Amino acid sequence: MATTTTTASESLRRAGRGSLAGARIREAGWGYLFVLLPMAVFGLFFIYPLVYGIYISFFEWGILGKVHGVGTANYHTIFHDSVFRRSIKNIVEYTVVVVPLEMALGLLIALVINAKIRGRAFFRSSFYFPSLVSSAAITAIFIYLLNADGLLNAIIGGNRAWFGDPSTALWAIVGLNAWTTAGTVMLFYLAALQSISTDVYEAAAVDGTGTWRTFWRITFPLLKPAHFFVLVVFGIGALKLFDQSFIVSSGTGGPVYSTYTPVLYIYNTAFKSAEFGPAAAAGVVMFVAIFLLTLFQRATVGRSEAG
Amino acid sequence: MRRAFAVSAALLSLALLTLVVVASGAQARSEHAQATTITLSGWSAGKVEDDLLQTMVNDFNKTHPAIHVDYSVINGDYATAMTARFAARNAPDVFYVDSSVAPTWVKQGVLQPLNSYIKASKFDTSKFYPGLLNAFKFGKSIYGFPKDWSPLATEINVKMFRQAGIRTAPRTWAQLAADAKKLAASGVLPAGAKPICLPPDWARMLAFIYQNKGSLANVQSPAVAAAVNFYVGLVKQGLAATQQQLGVGWPGEALGKEKAAIVFEGNWLLPYMHDTFPQVLMGVSPMVKGKVNGNLGFTVSYSMAKDSKNKAAAWTLLSWLTGKVGMTKWMSLGLALPSRTDVKAIGGRKAFLAAGPFSHGWGFPNFTATYTIMSNDLQAVMNGSMTTAQMLSDVAKSLKG
Repeated sequence: MATTTTTASESLRRAGRGSLAGARIREAGWGYLFVLLPMAVFGLFFIYPLVYGIYISFFEWGILGKVHGVGTANYHTIFHDSVFRRSIKNIVEYTVVVVPLEMALGLLIALVINAKIRGRAFFRSSFYFPSLVSSAAITAIFIYLLNADGLLNAIIGGNRAWFGDPSTALWAIVGLNAWTTAGTVMLFYLAALQSISTDVYEAAAVDGTGTWRTFWRITFPLLKPAHFFVLVVFGIGALKLFDQSFIVSSGTGGPVYSTYTPVLYIYNTAFKSAEFGPAAAAGVVMFVAIFLLTLFQRATVGRSEAG
Repeated sequence: MRRAFAVSAALLSLALLTLVVVASGAQARSEHAQATTITLSGWSAGKVEDDLLQTMVNDFNKTHPAIHVDYSVINGDYATAMTARFAARNAPDVFYVDSSVAPTWVKQGVLQPLNSYIKASKFDTSKFYPGLLNAFKFGKSIYGFPKDWSPLATEINVKMFRQAGIRTAPRTWAQLAADAKKLAASGVLPAGAKPICLPPDWARMLAFIYQNKGSLANVQSPAVAAAVNFYVGLVKQGLAATQQQLGVGWPGEALGKEKAAIVFEGNWLLPYMHDTFPQVLMGVSPMVKGKVNGNLGFTVSYSMAKDSKNKAAAWTLLSWLTGKVGMTKWMSLGLALPSRTDVKAIGGRKAFLAAGPFSHGWGFPNFTATYTIMSNDLQAVMNGSMTTAQMLSDVAKSLKG
């Protein structure tokens, strides 16, 4: 890489001042040409729908398209809809619990696997395996495991229907997703752990620092980029919870609204009730919330990264 | 040299392939050169039913040389898939419409009103059960004809009833409660089982509401509240349990696994029990009765797309499928019940057919949002975290949209 730059700048210098600007423009032209295709795809499938979604949120919009403009009435509708408000409450509770749980679990597994133990490749694959299985299949299996007469109750005793009880349904999904996602989190932490230089550990060992202290004072702070990445990516993922709630509640978000999520609300409002305006408004609210949250995380946890 | 040969060989085979494709396409077209091609779609309710419909379509094509019908099943979430097809102005010409989504689709203007076709072809609408036809009638316009239907009935575990010394299935609310108490006291129920399986679902409870002279039009009336309290009361007294409490997917499974001795399901339970739990002896009787007879009609229509380009041909198909000839063929396997009074069902469906005159089509305005509230609120009422009055107020508000 370095050699190429040198040659390029040398040739530019040799070409003289007049054609330097031309060469720069040519180089930039090629650059833009190369990013054109990915940008066109990005624009067509991300930017355009995003802007169009914002546009739809200000209209009464049916299956056959625009009916008439309604100003901010759709936003008024969703904020006065107790089901949407409940879905926000659910998703906040869910995210606040599931993300730290995934991080703790993922980090723990990564630390264990990073230790020099026999068969680590096997453990690494085993822990990652749940992430590869379709969430619909896993959820369907969990419905049986957590049934009133399912495996879990057979082990711990009792006859609680975990997905059928409003006080446990959302937490059952938390458990299920923490288990499936921890493997992916582990991969990111493992990569980060392996990039920490052994020098710092050697220095700590020379100073006689204990294992616990080494972890909290050296490993944990040095994993900051990984913390930030995992927090943002999996935080956004958690806020978009849909498939598990849809499957365990057959799309009703039950029992007693306990698994109703904003994305389920968007799906039901748009594709079942054919009210695309309020659905788009809910989508915009989610977008703004996720955007602000990411900015906040970047300003706090990710400060050193941004700088 | 070699390369030139390879290139020309590739070009030649491509040209030949194109010729074959074009020729076969032309041949396929010439077969229906005179015929108008229209499309027919629905969801799949199993291979047996799909095959039966395909046979009917073949019959239609044979007897109607001017029309060629292409039948295709829409897999996955039907309402979502159809919404996309409507939006793309690419809906099938004739398709299934469930009574529950009919109000939404009519409001969205994607279904064709059929009145002018009915009038022009003198199609006799009086042969349909009015409660079922009303599910597809909005104002004076008819947007589809019910292809078949099923009401609810009372299904019991005959062996458990005999062991508990009960001779017949319950016919009234009072008998239902009394029989449930007897079953519970008799000790014939296995551990973890309950006399009745009642789902937290208005698609069952609404039948009880109609039996108490209540209706959705006046959902906050004392009659509705009393019916809800009776239904929920059975659960609270321990005489009934939801499918979640029993650890099964639906009441039919509870009956099959002998976790409940009484359930209220439709015609769909019969093939399920026959195939999955043939060892369980099931008795089918008419739905229990409150102050009056009341039942729900789960029905599906054949409707026409507003965007259809071949409406005359689509009407010919639609009126044939829902006419006497088509429906008689459709009933041959007993998969469903006839929605016409002049078509007979196969044997053993008496308990269901009796409900024809007093069944109300399952569907109401603002369906998805209201049904979400109904399901969740009813669960809350059952577990005691909400009052009946609160639920009925929520439902009334949502029905207004």
